[in-house]
Amino acid sequence: MNVALRGVGTSMFGKQQDRHPSEFIWQAVIEALEAAEAQVHQIDAVYLGTVFGAPGVAQRALHALGIVGVPIITVENACASGTTALHEAITAVSMDRFDTVLALGVEKMTDQFAGAIHPESTDIEGRSGLALPSLYAMAATRYQHLYGLTDEDLALVAVKNHAHSVHNPRAQHRTPHTVDEVLASRMIADPLTLMQCCPIADGAGAAVVGRQRPGRSEVVVRSSVLRSGGLWDHTSEHVWGFDLIRSTARAAYEEAGLGPEDMNVIECHDAFTIGEIVTTDAIGLAAEGHGNELLRAGHTQVGGPQPVNPSGGLLSRGHPLGATGLAQAAEIVWQLQGRAGGRQVDGARIGLIETMGGGVAGIDGNACAIVILEGIDP
Amino acid sequence: MTTTPDPRPVAEMIAGTVLLHGWRCVDCRHPLLWSTPRCPRCGGTVEASSFGPEGVVWSSTVVRVPVPGRTPPYAMAYVDLDDGPRVLAHVDGPAERVAVGSRVRLLEQGIHGDVVVTEVGV
Repeated sequence: MNVALRGVGTSMFGKQQDRHPSEFIWQAVIEALEAAEAQVHQIDAVYLGTVFGAPGVAQRALHALGIVGVPIITVENACASGTTALHEAITAVSMDRFDTVLALGVEKMTDQFAGAIHPESTDIEGRSGLALPSLYAMAATRYQHLYGLTDEDLALVAVKNHAHSVHNPRAQHRTPHTVDEVLASRMIADPLTLMQCCPIADGAGAAVVGRQRPGRSEVVVRSSVLRSGGLWDHTSEHVWGFDLIRSTARAAYEEAGLGPEDMNVIECHDAFTIGEIVTTDAIGLAAEGHGNELLRAGHTQVGGPQPVNPSGGLLSRGHPLGATGLAQAAEIVWQLQGRAGGRQVDGARIGLIETMGGGVAGIDGNACAIVILEGIDP
Repeated sequence: MTTTPDPRPVAEMIAGTVLLHGWRCVDCRHPLLWSTPRCPRCGGTVEASSFGPEGVVWSSTVVRVPVPGRTPPYAMAYVDLDDGPRVLAHVDGPAERVAVGSRVRLLEQGIHGDVVVTEVGV
């Protein structure tokens, strides 16, 4: 599609109660503009993803950078809000609607929640007291019943991603943990313990999206797909989210002319440990129900054939909802540019970003967005 | 809390049996827990129906974190009602995960207004 992510940037991630959301945006945007060697006046549209951002959160931050007078479009798609903004920016450039677009994501979670997120009380799930970790816990229990997934398998996701985060200076948690430590942490929603749940975080991410320029090293978009969930009811065989991720991934592979075996590095939605296992199954890294084998074999750790969440993932980096998709994109871009430091995946050429947002009762997810990127040299 | 109408289904004792109020498509018989303008599967007209009193546990968990207005821990399950929809329910009894595949029966709603089930034969 001749679209490139010319530059990316992020803030630090973590609980940053004393800072203004605009500060996160400034940090991410300035880094992305510098990496893209782009000037403020070249930005001719902005898409920003946020879930709980105050009205005007984008304009409030951007006018201070001199980004004024251009269309600014704020989107909400639960945890996939930032990835939705990225997808819309990519699509806008590919359709020649705009030339150079800023994709942004921001969230200040510490203004909203002290503990677990709970779905909207206008839904049955939220009104019935089902905190969001329990929605994922339901998937974990089902997987344990169907496929013999063990508590240790679940813990391996957290162990792997926390080990990766040691090398990510922007991550919220950078301490390695053992299986025993993960399982001994406080139970949140059986079988998920505290260390299997992503922490509440604040932060922002940004990407400058434009046309691919010939003769330059670029990170180009091979495909970008956004879908909302189908009906999820008594006829649904799969756990919540599986069918949506699988159908989005299939469309993304088809558009790219690639398959799961071609992915060298992946950032996926590990808001809870079971989420990564369901996702690696759904995007085709493992046969359905066999995602635990990837973990046991070291297939998805840095150093293995197809590392997943080298940044530490949502579990370690933190999950500022609207910012997460852009944080994932930044990680994949750095990986494809060979700039990921101690967590670098050797020789990574093709990478995949997957974000899954949910919370609405009766459907398989509010949104899933998948972007496949390739690093190319002239 | 919201002033939006409570979205949870209502249980009612009918002739000694607890059933859930819901809706069903006149054309394709798709069961629904909430009123919709059209059947989301086929676009047909929906009519009031009732479901239960028994079903099978599809999955379960125990919520151990505080949620506004609730005191953890409490057991919850997705239950596929016989010939009816999948419903989110609280499980009566100790705060333990009820096994997937267990048969459960609807109980009358408690003070919270939740759908409540109990294991059959326990």
